[in-house]
Amino acid sequence: MADGGVASGAALTAYADAFFTDGSGFAAARERLQREVGEEASVDAAAVLAIFNAVVRIADATGIPLEETKARMSVDIRDALGLEGR
Amino acid sequence: MHVTAGTAETLDYRRSPLPVRDELVAAHRRAWTRLAAPGEWWTGAVRVAIATETRAATNCALCKDRRAALSPYAVTGTHTAATSLPEVLVEVIHRVRTDTGRLTRQVYDEALAGGLSDAEYVETIGVMATVIAIDTFCDAMGMPRHALLAPVPGEPRRRRPTGAKEVLAWVPTVAPEDVAEAEAGMYDGLAAVNIHRALSLVPAEVEGFFDLDAVQYLPDALLRDFGTEYRALTHAQIEFLAARVSAINQCFY
Repeated sequence: MADGGVASGAALTAYADAFFTDGSGFAAARERLQREVGEEASVDAAAVLAIFNAVVRIADATGIPLEETKARMSVDIRDALGLEGR
Repeated sequence: MHVTAGTAETLDYRRSPLPVRDELVAAHRRAWTRLAAPGEWWTGAVRVAIATETRAATNCALCKDRRAALSPYAVTGTHTAATSLPEVLVEVIHRVRTDTGRLTRQVYDEALAGGLSDAEYVETIGVMATVIAIDTFCDAMGMPRHALLAPVPGEPRRRRPTGAKEVLAWVPTVAPEDVAEAEAGMYDGLAAVNIHRALSLVPAEVEGFFDLDAVQYLPDALLRDFGTEYRALTHAQIEFLAARVSAINQCFY
């Protein structure tokens, strides 16, 4: 699994993917992340995952647009992820 | 409705499998207190009901059928509601909670046509975001969610920012240069980028949600201070995880 060049990136990806797409595998993904980054960082990961699960709803429900500067900077990333503004 | 008559001091993480930072506990207590108190446009009772409905939406059969459909509008029916909130409000809550990646302006327009005001809609989203942020944290930690507090009696304040304009988003927003004295602290500590402005029709929701955001994510002023790490996760790890969560949710912002 791609790590994006980030330390424990694969474990972070597996953690997020398991939380949102496969509840049965989440405990294992969380344990793996905790082994790799430690307890304190594992709590931080839960906090970040949780706040962005909320932020996306604020953005999507209000129709707030992406800033033009950010849009220009993130064209490649959004293409790769199949994301596009409405 | 699962609520407790306790105060926010009863919100704790003693059952957490891992130690939780004190500032996270404190921020969650502030948010939980605010959630049950009268807001700008909703009473405490309605705010707690919105939180209850937000939780219940993930078990709604209609929402599950809609998510499986090519378009959410291809499936009609009645939501499995957990509250006596008006149907128009239940529809907003369930759509935002269960199908956020396919929200369009139609959801907002139909809410207004159904009798919600723009400010009531925005406050609803603010309440939902707060309860989702804290519930998701509990879920990710592998611990039970907190009981909602009993609503605090009282009337909503009903103050609308005079500088709100329909120029940026579906909902009216307040640009930093249009902030009036009454809501002067709304963008304190924030760069007032678009995501900060999203809830600005209800300034208390901006202040409340980003109080939580600063502790669960990072304070705005530290986001680009790459020379120092403020969390056990690095800046890079935080942004990597945030991007993954946004992509999974099909959030373009």
